[in-house]
Amino acid sequence: MLKIKNLTKSIQDKKIIDNLSLEIDRGKIAVLLGASGVGKSTLLRMLNNLETADSGTVELDDTVLDLAKTTQTHTIGIVFQGFNLFEHLTVEQNITLALENVAHKNKPESQQIAHQLLKRYGLEDKAKQHVSQLSGEQKQRLAIARTLSLKPTIVCLDEPTSALDPLLTTYVAETIKELAHQGYIVLVATHDTSLLEKMPCAIHLMHKGAIIESADSNDSFAHKGHYPHIASFVAGGIASFVKTHTKMC
Amino acid sequence: MINFLTLKDSLGNLLQGAALSLEIMVLAFIIGIVGGTLLSLMLLYGGRAMNVIAHTYVTIFRGTPMLVQLVALFFVFPYIGIVIPAFWSAVIAIGMNSAAYVSQIIRAGIQAVGKGQIEAAKTLGLSHNQITRFIVLPQAVRTVFPSLGNECITLIKDSSLASVIGVAELSHQGSIIMSRTYDALTAYAGVAVIYLIMTSCASLLLHIVERRMHYVKN
Repeated sequence: MLKIKNLTKSIQDKKIIDNLSLEIDRGKIAVLLGASGVGKSTLLRMLNNLETADSGTVELDDTVLDLAKTTQTHTIGIVFQGFNLFEHLTVEQNITLALENVAHKNKPESQQIAHQLLKRYGLEDKAKQHVSQLSGEQKQRLAIARTLSLKPTIVCLDEPTSALDPLLTTYVAETIKELAHQGYIVLVATHDTSLLEKMPCAIHLMHKGAIIESADSNDSFAHKGHYPHIASFVAGGIASFVKTHTKMC
Repeated sequence: MINFLTLKDSLGNLLQGAALSLEIMVLAFIIGIVGGTLLSLMLLYGGRAMNVIAHTYVTIFRGTPMLVQLVALFFVFPYIGIVIPAFWSAVIAIGMNSAAYVSQIIRAGIQAVGKGQIEAAKTLGLSHNQITRFIVLPQAVRTVFPSLGNECITLIKDSSLASVIGVAELSHQGSIIMSRTYDALTAYAGVAVIYLIMTSCASLLLHIVERRMHYVKN
């Protein structure tokens, strides 16, 4: 189980993450829902050692994680919003680069792992092509394959639908469900509410760096009255929610 | 009028000079690339001392004429007991001058590499040196290739400065032909045409490589 306890981060006296706590079981999906700038991506970046926390701890199976080393130990991986694939390398090299130079696998072994992952994500025929020759959806599949190549326990996805055609939301949800099914702890940051209906998950609505409401996705849709903030966000979209919530505050 | 008979008789000497010019250009370019890359890394990632050294180097070599640097290396260094042959003086002076300019080109290229690329590499656990080697430099080279191509063409022309310290490169051959025939127009027309052919060939070659890189990128 992943336990995030009282995580806080401020930039110039402004709280970006405000005493945030969260628990996610293995094989489960947690969605950080919220408008832009509420701290969703910052939280994922903190878990992946791209930002440092001011205070708080992160535990995996009751062991405190040193976030400065999670990328070296391959505990956590992230699929970025814009994928951030290495444009100068081939599809296969995007996967083998870290396997050879970080995980210290030899070339044939790395290529075999890459081949298996590319096959799983339907990209085996693209192995020798350059990233620029892939479609947006193929790039996302490659980004996921690259992240999984190092066998992390926790997989973070930052706005997984934002760079894709809206019609592909179902496909993205299926991919995330499959990750959870394989036993990964999946943490998704999104403002796309259409994703919530397509996969069972724990929804954590964020506002100003804090989680203001949490609910199970099925429960939140069945009992909208119990989760007014989430219901408001889902029904009215970001603009309506921000307007209402600012008034409530 | 251009005397084609004189030109024909002098062609062997001119081509010998052109070969030497190309030799100077290639060696100076290697010094420029290696030195320029090191300087750019010092400017971007070196500590304060490294940064000051690199910055001082660039200021001196960009701020003084290449001719002065060349003459200083060949004529002044023997006073402190360092005698460098004329050919190597030319190669070193032109190469060191080029390194100052190349450092700025490569620095701009490195800074143009997307932050997201470096972050992605970090999250995969690559070290700072690995990120520089596998992600930053290969992408920077693609970005700066056209500018490095221009530098390469400039070096072909800069190699003519070697004539002032007696290196028998193309321009020097031109002045020898002129002093022998008193026909400045023919001698320098021949020199100019050969320079033009060399720079055009280099330009074409660079264009082909650049197009190939562009194809791979897109």
